[in-house]
Amino acid sequence: MSDRDFKRWLCLGCGFSYDEALGLPEHGISPGTRWADIPDDWCCPDCGTPKHLFEMVEIPYAPGQPTPQRPPL
Amino acid sequence: MSNSFILRAADRGHETILSTGPTASYVGGHPDAFITRQSSFNFHDYQSGRAGFGRIRVFGDETFNNPGCSYNMHPHHNFIICAFVLSGRLQHINTTGNNDELLAGDYYAFSAGSGGLHTEINVHREPMNAIYLWMLPDHLYLPPSYVRGRFDAEASANRIKPLLGADAALPIPQDAKVSRLFSTKPGRHVYRPRSSGHGVYCFVIDGTLACDGTTLGSRDSKGIWNATEVVLETGDAPADALLVETIL
Repeated sequence: MSDRDFKRWLCLGCGFSYDEALGLPEHGISPGTRWADIPDDWCCPDCGTPKHLFEMVEIPYAPGQPTPQRPPL
Repeated sequence: MSNSFILRAADRGHETILSTGPTASYVGGHPDAFITRQSSFNFHDYQSGRAGFGRIRVFGDETFNNPGCSYNMHPHHNFIICAFVLSGRLQHINTTGNNDELLAGDYYAFSAGSGGLHTEINVHREPMNAIYLWMLPDHLYLPPSYVRGRFDAEASANRIKPLLGADAALPIPQDAKVSRLFSTKPGRHVYRPRSSGHGVYCFVIDGTLACDGTTLGSRDSKGIWNATEVVLETGDAPADALLVETIL
């Protein structure tokens, strides 16, 4: 995985995942929003765990779930 | 040459979570109930320990005190959440459709996958003590699943008995395996991880044993990696331990 690739982050409080490729449009975060660009005071929408207690993961999606995308060149 | 860390019982993270005040929506059983949680790895407000070990992120030794003491129904994704009941009675309810009472020796693995909710309740006067183990899954957003099993200490005494994962009757979606050793007599038990790329976390539930030469008492633990085998030596007195093997 290169630095350019979209990354996934997992909430260590509940397992909620944030995928930079997908964003969270229902929470006002557009697809393609980098983790670093999400405010430091942002919390997990499911359990309230603060941003700094998310972990970057390189776990693939299960079959039938979103296909990871690459950022446009 | 293997690597290891030793974590003594008293050096774990200690938290008491009340059913009143700021945590009242999280912990039920108001007003007398409270949960004590002793964490082997970082969890919630305890952030001065190890972040985890392999795919393990949470290893919590938790006691639910007073009737109604519970984690209220709350959501999860992705984590494989396991509970091993050591004493008392646990009511586990989840949105895969399970409503189970688990007694000492019973255990479950709830893979939250694409999304699931659960509640954990002790409705009895006797405290309920369980080990809660959370592991990262091998894929995100798997279909949620639930399995439960029972460790029969008498029938499985004096050997390392697989409970969950590879080589065990109950699968979990991760390159990990949980086993238990209940010993009633002196013995030498050799645990062989599937590869040197797998680590083993040995947690003593009760009693005393030697783990690769380190004496571990009740609730002490040791993590070992780059090892082809882990040797557990037991004495005359009963000893009880959980072994969690995980890809690193």
